[in-house]
Amino acid sequence: MNRLIIVTFSLYVFLVAPLHARAQEAFPNRPITIAVPFPPGGVADLTARPVAAAMERVLKNPVIVVNKTGAAGAVGMSYVANSKPDGYTLLMALSSISIIPEADKLFDRQPAYTMDQLVPLALISADPTVLVVRGDSPWKSVKELVADAKKRAGEISYSSSGIYGTLHMAMEMFSHAAGIKLKHVPYGGAGPALTAILGGHVDALASGPAVVIPHIKANKLRPLAGWGAKRVASLPEVATFKELGYDAEFYIWAGMFAPRGTPEPVLKKLRDVIRQTVQEPDFKDAMTKLETPIAYLDAPDFQKFWDKDAKMLTDAVKRIGRIEEKK
Amino acid sequence: MLETLQNLYLGFSVALSPAAFLYAVVGCVIGTIVGVLPGIGPLAGISLLLPASFGMDATSAIILLAGIYYGAMYGGSTTSILMRIPGEAASVMTCIDGYEMTRKGRAGPALAIAAVGSYIAGTVSVVGLMLLAPPLAAFALRFGPPEYTALLLLGLLVLAYMTGGSISKSLAMAALGLLLGMIGIDPMTGFFRFHYGIVELGDGIGVVPVAVGLFGLSEILLTAGQETPPKVMQPRLADLLPSREEWRDSTWPIARGTVLGFLIGIIPGSAHIIASFVSYAVERRVSKHPERFGQGAIEGVAGPESANNSATSGAFVPMLALGVPSGPIPAVMLAALMVHGISPGPLLIQQQPELFWGFIASMYIGNVVLLILNLPLVGLFVNILRVPYPLLYPAILVFCVLGVYAVNSSVVDVWIMIVMGALGYLLRKFDFETAPIVLGVVLAPMLEMSFRQSLAMSSGNYAIFIHRPIAVFMLGAGLFLVLLSLLPIFTRRVNWRRLLGLATNSDLEKEDNR
Amino acid sequence: MTSVRFGNKLTPMSKLSAMLTTDRISGTALALFALGVIWESRRLPLGTFRVPGPAYMPVLLALLLLIFGVLIALTGGRAERLASIRWTEWPHAVAILYICIFSTLALERLGYRLTILFGLVFLVKGVEKKGWLLTVLFALALSFGSFYLFYTLLRVPLPLGPWGI
Repeated sequence: MNRLIIVTFSLYVFLVAPLHARAQEAFPNRPITIAVPFPPGGVADLTARPVAAAMERVLKNPVIVVNKTGAAGAVGMSYVANSKPDGYTLLMALSSISIIPEADKLFDRQPAYTMDQLVPLALISADPTVLVVRGDSPWKSVKELVADAKKRAGEISYSSSGIYGTLHMAMEMFSHAAGIKLKHVPYGGAGPALTAILGGHVDALASGPAVVIPHIKANKLRPLAGWGAKRVASLPEVATFKELGYDAEFYIWAGMFAPRGTPEPVLKKLRDVIRQTVQEPDFKDAMTKLETPIAYLDAPDFQKFWDKDAKMLTDAVKRIGRIEEKK
Repeated sequence: MLETLQNLYLGFSVALSPAAFLYAVVGCVIGTIVGVLPGIGPLAGISLLLPASFGMDATSAIILLAGIYYGAMYGGSTTSILMRIPGEAASVMTCIDGYEMTRKGRAGPALAIAAVGSYIAGTVSVVGLMLLAPPLAAFALRFGPPEYTALLLLGLLVLAYMTGGSISKSLAMAALGLLLGMIGIDPMTGFFRFHYGIVELGDGIGVVPVAVGLFGLSEILLTAGQETPPKVMQPRLADLLPSREEWRDSTWPIARGTVLGFLIGIIPGSAHIIASFVSYAVERRVSKHPERFGQGAIEGVAGPESANNSATSGAFVPMLALGVPSGPIPAVMLAALMVHGISPGPLLIQQQPELFWGFIASMYIGNVVLLILNLPLVGLFVNILRVPYPLLYPAILVFCVLGVYAVNSSVVDVWIMIVMGALGYLLRKFDFETAPIVLGVVLAPMLEMSFRQSLAMSSGNYAIFIHRPIAVFMLGAGLFLVLLSLLPIFTRRVNWRRLLGLATNSDLEKEDNR
Repeated sequence: MTSVRFGNKLTPMSKLSAMLTTDRISGTALALFALGVIWESRRLPLGTFRVPGPAYMPVLLALLLLIFGVLIALTGGRAERLASIRWTEWPHAVAILYICIFSTLALERLGYRLTILFGLVFLVKGVEKKGWLLTVLFALALSFGSFYLFYTLLRVPLPLGPWGI
């Protein structure tokens, strides 16, 4: 009896069930999933939700957001990279998508995914990070900070969202451009990194503008410079690194990807839908509330943007190298 | 004071408006469901309902989400007491004595005490939140990596008081748990430790699958096949409420748990999980009959359950007073505010008084709602035990798998649960206690990270631990506790073998008879 | 402690079985596991006292576990003997573990409802030997009911199987 149940069950699971999933019809005829490789409440999640809601209205087809978290995003990204290229599983990724394969290479491990496994659909938003120091710190400008850092190499500390994380990369680009050495204290996410500087345990932080602006207004933090090509709209008095003569440019961007191999008509359809999505008033309204600027780029332009960004990031990862070998 | 009362009046006028009241009740109900089900804890519950809150106004959204959070803390004890399955990580300690009480037919009183303790802790800690939030928040932020390291080392000391068996076995289990906590990407260097090609292990192994496996699944494996299946409980009405003696025994544990939980809860980070562990250890330590712990002592339910509820309110202190994302759950709630165009920051209380005071008032209301909701449910839940075990345990298994899977939508977590279930089964066969493993898994990543962060801050100088007043105070307290427990060796010449739990029972009897 | 001594005559077998106490076995197993961890950490940099590397804590903890494991094994001579542990629930436990493993393999292929349905039928009918009617009703109610509560009401993403079941 038992054996019979087991045998039928096993046969079904491993032989028959995969066949059911083959059916192919007009796209889309079932819910589309946008996988977010980060926990709810993060930038990627908060961007993906209004995108999904607006896409649903445009497509008249359910679009679901699923958080596939783990390993600093590697779990969710490799999930989409390895899922069936049929346009039903999409990815909302952040800049870190270019970092993880490079970090894997650095440690000689089997990469969780490679960038070739994904094709870009569209860039949704790009937010330049800003450099903040504590409100009671002596540095009033980047120049003062750099001068002090040159005097006391490796003494001024900064927190980050994690080793090889986006905030770490931004700081690495700045300190490389300025020729200084700072002390890195990694934390487990952007939230703890912000808490650390507010508590006075580190001196500086690179952060997305939206979360630090209230603390800047309360004089707890002081902005020194931004990483963008243009100044941040809500912080017009803060200069960019480019203006100050440091070659550092960095954005926390959110873009959508599909697995490589997705049929061309499906990709075209998705790109059309996203183009309409970003013009929806509800979507614009949601992004304004989040203080995240929409920076829509269609696939060809996004590909160029991504190539350039990925090059900068991989160079930064290579410069940092393995931490413990530089001692 | 007058100002506070005026503000509170404002708050109640917000919180008692029909919509806000409805959301508080809905939040509490969903929280209770989410908490009762194993695995899906408050974080998963809030994350799942976050999108639903986007359509509401900011105050309603935060009231709903907070309701889910503290509702889940109420509900978390239910499966721990009835089935030895921790509803969320904070109720691991409740499993030990709560389930023993169930086996003795005292499930009703255990559930009732958990609900009443949670109510008292919830309400008292909201008073603390209301009156002390700004000064306490400033203090809480001073907890940097060195203070955290000291706190977690104190947490490790708790182990010594946690279990009744042999100390060398407890310590071995703790070391095993800490080792399991080492799996994953090293946060300081990026090395991926002990992954064996499984990407999902990057963030380490979760506490939930470990706890559900070691406690819930191992219990099923042990009992399902017994020749005489556990007898069906026929709870009588008189057995639903605690006896006068049980009330008296619970008073002080609830009071201590409330204060302790609130203080641990305000510290940014994930330390609030250890509130219930610390409370259990404290109760065991101060009890005149520590040997009753593990055998169904009601103090072992009352203390930890109160502690984890007041830790919940404590966690709101830095979040509301300073707008700091002081832990995973406050971070999600702050995101919910940002979606509504409110930038949480140090000026939140001044700029959004309706939000802050409405939120405070809704917590008073929510705690009453939860008490009214939970006490009658005690009767209902106890009746679950009437289901014959051959049908009950398959259902429990389903909820274990479902709950563990739902946290991250990850099959790997289910695998971890199964492996831990098998491990727990073997360990319990060999007379080991599994609670230290869970504590180890909770503490290890936090301890390692804060320890190495401290050294990164000081460029490898250990003096950082003694140059910071809070850290040195806590380390001193820990040292004092260690010396205190060693004292009897020198003064009363207690058999050291007994202290280490190495002596066998017959030796001890001999000694006791002397 | 009741030790088996009939005079001083001990057969080699019973001598061995008298030596195999629960604590000796478990202590040795823990110590071996600790050695395994240390061996597996060899590829990770150990770091220094001032700058601990990724292998620092694991090796330290494994050494602790090794010490406790050896301690348990050395002092475990008078613990219960291995043979005295009764394994009466063993077949049940194996069956339950088996169905857990199977459900996990099937979860993302068959979808939640079918997996749980099959799993419950196996447990209630195959292991617990209940009647068919009860089994089917119970399994249907629990698998579809829990799916409705979680997927539909609480919006927990659960895997769907063929034909969207």
